[in-house]
Amino acid sequence: MKTKQYKSLLEVKDLQTYFKTDAGIVKAVDGISFDLNEGETLGIVGESGCGKSVTNLSIMRLIQSPPGKIVGGEIFFEGLDILKLPENELRKIRGNEISMIFQDPMTSLNPFLKISTQMVETIRLHQKMSHKEALAKSIQMLQLVGIPVAEEKIYYYPHQFSGGMRQRVMIAMALSCEAKILIADEPTTALDVTIQAQILDLIVELTKKMNTAVILITHDLGVVAGMCDNVCVMYAGKIVEKAKTMELYKNPAHPYTEGLIKSVPRLDRAHKGRLFSIEGQPPNVIDLPDCCPFHPRCHKVMDVCQHHYPPTKDLGDQHEVACWLYVDEKEFPND
Amino acid sequence: MTKYIIRRLLGVIPTLLVIITISFFIVRVAPGGPFDGERALPEVVKRNIEAKYHINDPLLVQYGRYMFDVLRGDLGPSYRYKDHDVNFYIFESLPNSMVLGVIAISISVIFGILSGMLAAIHQNSWIDYLSMALAVVGISVPLFVIGPVLQYVFAMKLGWLPTSGWFSTGDGWKTVILPALTLAFADFATIARLTRSSMLETLRSDYIRTAKAKGMKSSSIIFKHAMKGTMLPIVSYLGPAFAGIITGSVVVEQVFRIPGLGKFFVQSSFNRDYTLIVGVVIVYSVILVIMNFLVDIVYSLLDPRITYT
Amino acid sequence: MNLLNKQAEPQATNEFDQVIVGNSLSKDAWRRLKKNKMAVISVFIVIIYVLLAICAPILPIYPYDEIILDHQHLKPSLVKNAGQLLMEKRMADLYTQAWREGRFELSEEKDDMIWAWIDKGEVNKVWDYMYKEGNIRMAEGTFVFNTAEQRRIDTLNTKLKTDLQISVKKVWYTPEGGKRINISKLPLEEIVAIYADMVGTTSEIETEQYGREIEQQLLKTIMRQNPDLTTEEYNLLLDKELSGLSERKRDTLIRENIVAKITSQAKDIALFDLKEAAGNESVNFPLNKEITIKGALSASVKATKMHERRYYLGTDHQGRDLLSRIIYGGQVSIAIGFIGTITSVLIGTILGALAGYLGGKIDYFIMRVVDIMYGLPYMLLVIIAMAIFGRNIINLFFALAIISWLTISRMVRGQIMSLKNQEFIEAARSMGAPTRRIIFRHLIPNSLSVIIVFSTLRIPSFIMTESFLSFLGLGVQAPYASWGSLVGDAVAGMTLYPWKLFFPALAMTIFLFAMNFLGDGLRDAFDPQSKNQL
Ligand SMILES: Nc1ncnc2c1ncn2[C@@H]1O[C@H](COP(=O)(O)OP(=O)(O)OP(=O)(O)O)[C@@H](O)[C@H]1O
Ligand SMILES: [Mg+2]
Repeated sequence: MKTKQYKSLLEVKDLQTYFKTDAGIVKAVDGISFDLNEGETLGIVGESGCGKSVTNLSIMRLIQSPPGKIVGGEIFFEGLDILKLPENELRKIRGNEISMIFQDPMTSLNPFLKISTQMVETIRLHQKMSHKEALAKSIQMLQLVGIPVAEEKIYYYPHQFSGGMRQRVMIAMALSCEAKILIADEPTTALDVTIQAQILDLIVELTKKMNTAVILITHDLGVVAGMCDNVCVMYAGKIVEKAKTMELYKNPAHPYTEGLIKSVPRLDRAHKGRLFSIEGQPPNVIDLPDCCPFHPRCHKVMDVCQHHYPPTKDLGDQHEVACWLYVDEKEFPND
Repeated sequence: MTKYIIRRLLGVIPTLLVIITISFFIVRVAPGGPFDGERALPEVVKRNIEAKYHINDPLLVQYGRYMFDVLRGDLGPSYRYKDHDVNFYIFESLPNSMVLGVIAISISVIFGILSGMLAAIHQNSWIDYLSMALAVVGISVPLFVIGPVLQYVFAMKLGWLPTSGWFSTGDGWKTVILPALTLAFADFATIARLTRSSMLETLRSDYIRTAKAKGMKSSSIIFKHAMKGTMLPIVSYLGPAFAGIITGSVVVEQVFRIPGLGKFFVQSSFNRDYTLIVGVVIVYSVILVIMNFLVDIVYSLLDPRITYT
Repeated sequence: MNLLNKQAEPQATNEFDQVIVGNSLSKDAWRRLKKNKMAVISVFIVIIYVLLAICAPILPIYPYDEIILDHQHLKPSLVKNAGQLLMEKRMADLYTQAWREGRFELSEEKDDMIWAWIDKGEVNKVWDYMYKEGNIRMAEGTFVFNTAEQRRIDTLNTKLKTDLQISVKKVWYTPEGGKRINISKLPLEEIVAIYADMVGTTSEIETEQYGREIEQQLLKTIMRQNPDLTTEEYNLLLDKELSGLSERKRDTLIRENIVAKITSQAKDIALFDLKEAAGNESVNFPLNKEITIKGALSASVKATKMHERRYYLGTDHQGRDLLSRIIYGGQVSIAIGFIGTITSVLIGTILGALAGYLGGKIDYFIMRVVDIMYGLPYMLLVIIAMAIFGRNIINLFFALAIISWLTISRMVRGQIMSLKNQEFIEAARSMGAPTRRIIFRHLIPNSLSVIIVFSTLRIPSFIMTESFLSFLGLGVQAPYASWGSLVGDAVAGMTLYPWKLFFPALAMTIFLFAMNFLGDGLRDAFDPQSKNQL
């Protein structure tokens, strides 16, 4: 059934995921497209609530329904449309081909089961291993992520671990799957700074070794710069800019990206006065009118921004941006 | 763990003390008892009681003696019946009530959990609607209505089951069915609803999402990951459920004329046989206390987050 | 031209023209509740019930305690009146008797069918069948009543036509040359004197007589409340009751008694007076009339044809109208449900709030009490309390309120513990607000949604508890009724008189359904997260 001709490992095309709530329809993800190649690391950055987690949960088809629903788009994994797969085919992909580190480590582990049970179960689900072997591997993975006395602590329950340790258990569990794609949703938010770098390095090291592609979700542009090949910048459920990492840093095209980069504190540049910050709040994504959702906060705002969503322009070298600044004025809609 | 059990056992003591104290005051001081000269009792009974309670001793001494008696399992003479004391009547009727209660609670737990889980798994399907409709009926309709209605339909109209009676009346086990169903209905309803909502809540939780992301089958997710979290609220409901069964059995025994403790209880509360009423309450309370204790232990076994220290 | 249209209220919008909705919890909850169809229907049902209960005294229904022994166990009927039903019953009875005597022959098959019904105790079916069959034969002329039977039918017919139900509205006393006075407004001595005059004795004899009658009455009540005691015990109880009787209460009892006597005298006289009129087709009933009892005593009475009454829901074993008993029973049940809930919620909220806010020793103590009481089979304690302190509505109510505050106090305590550490409380405290003020002005209003939802769900369980006790005969006592006691009275005869069980049970069930749906709806509205949590 697998079609062998595919361009990239994962192709997301025009994905739309909506939530039905009392207040109206939340368009959490509204027409997102990106590709991910084997061994590549893709960063997704954006403010809180812009739809990063929902995008990745949609890829795994883990959106809680109701209230959520993937209403449009296609997601190809190795040429296979995940959204059309039957449940049992889907199970072969989850955990086996794509594994995920969840954002919230406090609640993502089952509080009623020992770590050992949860890890062994993960490994044995897709790999032919005896219980003993799986246990040995689990301990080894825990040691890798820096859990001291792992052979003892593996018999603990999650509540006996601190938040950071639980995050590491989650990472160990996700990595033990040896999947082709690893989705890491802010994997280091619960960790202290010293450990953060260590864990990120570990993820890089292990994924490079196994040639795993990674989708890294983060607020931290510094992390993105260090790890990712490509970056998507999301705003209010849409990708506003997409580029190679170096290109993005050098020539941020979208005013929002520009603001984001400027607001990162940097040691190599002396600051005069306050750090830059983008004024205002992101909009709520219910009943958003047809306009650039960023326009109230944009310092380069034009008339057209308030009435039409900008088309995506290719600036060359896979650098895409959705902003009226890069659209020829002749092409502006006239009304 | 042992320490935990011991600590819980110690926690039971005040409850028992309170029960015995209330009982003592009811028997000894309540108006209408044999001691305020208001009631003329048969001579024999009177002598029995005087011999038993040493009415002329100070109250505190009497209290101490009463407590000692109760702890020894001696519930004293009856105010009404000369031939036997309270213990005799209780041990005669308790087994009947126990059989009824155990069957009822088993029915309600088994079917409650089953239908609640089915409803949760097939949310918004006809199974869900059916079992929740049944549950609403069970919660809204008092059992003294359900009982007679079942009697009317299954015994009188359809003639499938006997209207009333108990094992010895010749119909054997058939006599148990209607009373047990009646008694089970309310708790079945609550447990079914509780299971459904608890299961839905659990299935929505992050750790179930994690299990799904691993690629586990829905059935193993439900049984391996969701089961314990689902069961916790149900286990803690069991305490009140036992209390409900005890209270309910008073009515059910009345409706179906079952010679159980509950029927005795109502009878003796009509003819003011205080020692017998109090005896029944003590027995019921002890059962309830033991059940609550067991429920606590089971809960602590299920939930690893409970610390035993 | 826009005058008629109301100006649309200006709405706050943001830069995206999105309406900014303030997220007030109660508004949100209200909106969600209105969306819930079952809850809305339930609100209407509850309102109807409450209105019926409140308006019961002014509704056009028969008094709930009026006993008409002729009308025992009449079937519910929308079209037939009591007389027609009685006649049907009599005819069915006569046909059946004739069948038993062999004068009314049926096919063998039918005979077997009827015998089977009789064996199963399904007498209603027999009567229904015989009535139908008999009427057919009568019409065909293949069966005729014999003279004795015909006589019985005729007697019944006259009785049905002429029996009067007299209700005495007021008894008047007209002193010489004065204006007439309602005797219930006179002082006791005068009433006694008037009555003594009426029956031709002296006040002293009457007073003494009434002393004895009251004793008898009390004894009756005691015997009804405590069946199965020995005579000596009854006498002792009576002595106690008598010595506890205050002067005023005694006077009221005597007064009630005498008024009742005079009234019944008035009834007799009216019956006698109206006998003529009752047989006369041209006199229209109901009839209002002034009659003279004796001397200066007169009465206004209203006479109705007794057997023209209609019982839409049938009657009970004393010929009382079931419809009005259900409505008055609902009044008792609903009142106990609401007032009891309010009381227990108040107790629970205050204790829970204290425990939660003050913490420490007080918290420990209150929660220990709650724990211990949770471990008791409290329904049984209520039953004991009823046995000891007597079975009446007030005692029942207190017994229930005292045990039902446990859960709410736990909930409020939990709620307050979590609220306690939030900023706005900290702020109030740091500004020096006293404890009492913090509890009542800040903490309780903020736990209000929990309390409202809980109370709504509490009412049906309160009603259930009340009716549970009344069912056992431990609650409301005759002549008062509650849904529980109506069902309890009906259980014994439910094969013969299923309507006695069916209607009260239905009335009660509908109300409980509605309350439960409403409670669920409120809970979902206030707390959409915990959908369907109990
Ligand atoms: N179950 C849900 N019901 C309703 N709305 C939801 C639900 N889950 C997410 N959303 C909405 O979808 C939008 C995107 O949420 P998402 O979790 O993807 O944000 P995020 O980018 O991951 O933010 P963060 O950086 O804080 O994790 C938010 O506006 C959120 O309110
Ligand atoms: Mg997120």
